[in-house]
Amino acid sequence: MTELVHETQEEVIHETSEYLESFKSRAMDWTAARTFAVKNLRIAIRYPANFLVWGILPIFWFAPFILMATAIAGPGTSAHFTSISGFNDYIQFVVIGWFVFMYLDNSIWAIGNNFRWEQMSGTLEPLFSTPVPRISILLGAAISDTIQGTMQAGILLSICIVLFGLEYSIVAILPTIIILILMVIALYGFSFMLAGLILVFKDPSVLTQMISEMTFMVSPINYPVQALPRSVQFVSYLVPTTIGIVTIREIAINGAVDLLSFSQAILGLGLLAVCFWIVGIGIFRYAEKWTKQRGHMGGF
Amino acid sequence: MQRSGPNREGIWEVSEVKEESIFEKMWRRRGLRAEIRAANALAVKQWQVEFSYPLSVLWFIIMPFLWFIPSLILGAAVAGGSESAYLAEVAGTTDWLTYIAIGSAFTGLAVSLMWGTGFALRREQNVGTLETLMSTPMRRDTLVWGSTLHNIQHGGLGVVLQLGASVILFGVNLNLWGVMPALGIIALSIIGLQGLVFAIVCIVLLAKQAWMVVEFLSSILFLVAPLTYPIAVLPPILQYVSYGSPMTWSVEGFRGFLMGSLTGPALLTTVGALLLLDIIFIVLGTLLFRRAERYVRAKGALSQF
Repeated sequence: MTELVHETQEEVIHETSEYLESFKSRAMDWTAARTFAVKNLRIAIRYPANFLVWGILPIFWFAPFILMATAIAGPGTSAHFTSISGFNDYIQFVVIGWFVFMYLDNSIWAIGNNFRWEQMSGTLEPLFSTPVPRISILLGAAISDTIQGTMQAGILLSICIVLFGLEYSIVAILPTIIILILMVIALYGFSFMLAGLILVFKDPSVLTQMISEMTFMVSPINYPVQALPRSVQFVSYLVPTTIGIVTIREIAINGAVDLLSFSQAILGLGLLAVCFWIVGIGIFRYAEKWTKQRGHMGGF
Repeated sequence: MQRSGPNREGIWEVSEVKEESIFEKMWRRRGLRAEIRAANALAVKQWQVEFSYPLSVLWFIIMPFLWFIPSLILGAAVAGGSESAYLAEVAGTTDWLTYIAIGSAFTGLAVSLMWGTGFALRREQNVGTLETLMSTPMRRDTLVWGSTLHNIQHGGLGVVLQLGASVILFGVNLNLWGVMPALGIIALSIIGLQGLVFAIVCIVLLAKQAWMVVEFLSSILFLVAPLTYPIAVLPPILQYVSYGSPMTWSVEGFRGFLMGSLTGPALLTTVGALLLLDIIFIVLGTLLFRRAERYVRAKGALSQF
């Protein structure tokens, strides 16, 4: 019996050593990313009510804006709003804004905070000692959160269509998917940056809240970009969801794809994606190094 | 009893007598004054915790503006000017900016009370100090009142900051003669809101991870409260719910005094309704809290996560 245990232990040590000996550092490990995404999704599936709750709650958040607009301008819309936005149904306008905003909210609260939750469950240090590139872990977390976010955004959109009797163009489906994919890729870079900041600052509540409220303020969710001051409009376009909201709104409500503006949107989102990935990964790597040097990885 | 110092019996005896008397004094403390001192100590402790996080201080300063500015931009986008004829029909004023600025300032105070105080015991539980606090010689509800005191100061400063900046930066018009009566309304509103806070504390004590329930409840309460729009724009069924909430009458009273529009029968109705709801909510809230707190202690579930 003792011999058997001894042999098994030797085997494990041998296997482990073989794995480590044959291990080669890679820029990206897709298996690790998939494993991490599946792990996160398994946990998420254990709490199915969360999907429904996060699909319904945003209605309570944007209803006050609709009611406020109604109180000021009267039911329907106002001439001034139509003249600056180009749309004449305020609810139809707002719902698209919130549908796309769900992805931004998700990238800030879910993807950015992933490592905080690992830390709270005591698994951050083991996770960081696994021989896989950090980018794989980050990407795995981002993919699982995007799947959850898409389900929640879908629930929100469906409920709003039924509740308010809204109509959107079917032509918009494919262009919307293309824009959303590019926007989500750009948002990943944004999330990596946040994940790095959270490694350094630990308690993310205030930081995350501040970033969330600021991006919400400059995003054209409840009002058109034209309602913002000129300098803020520029800042607004630096948030990837702004291009997403503007383009998807245009196509979904008007039902026509303007090839020039659509190509410009794709180009803009591509450019933002490259910039955010470079900055995001750079900040994350620096934050990781900074935290490790201080032995502060598991600290609270 | 720990004995320290040189091994001389006389000194030990003196030390024992002194410590015993402090201990006994602590246990003998009773009355409103003692509870107010305990509540104040809790409020000061919370300020010390908040000030040890520089980001929290920054957030505290900019938060009222981040909440108000989106409403301001939306208002400007739909109104196209400084006046709204439709608002005059449904709320009796054309000045939409002042209307939403005052309502939005009140939101900060209400959020601070409901979330800050409602989750105070949960925070103590998370840092492992809830049982210690529960075993201190003070009334259990003082724990909640102490956090309320802190959040009144915290939220109150936010209201002053936001309204002050709104007057200076955005040209909001306030009736200065209405400031003192508006503060009176705030005092009355705190009693009713405290009843709601006790209910939230009960949910937190019983359900532990109760943020989802609280998020739903507070979202509904904020939706039916006339913070940035009058009740008239709500669907009829929600208007009835709104009349039963102390927050509705608090906001109406607070804004009415600061805009100089609350006089005559409307004044009596607002104050009367608020007083009535205050009594109902605080009595129900206190009873619920006592029952929930006893139940959780009897189950030995105070420190359970």
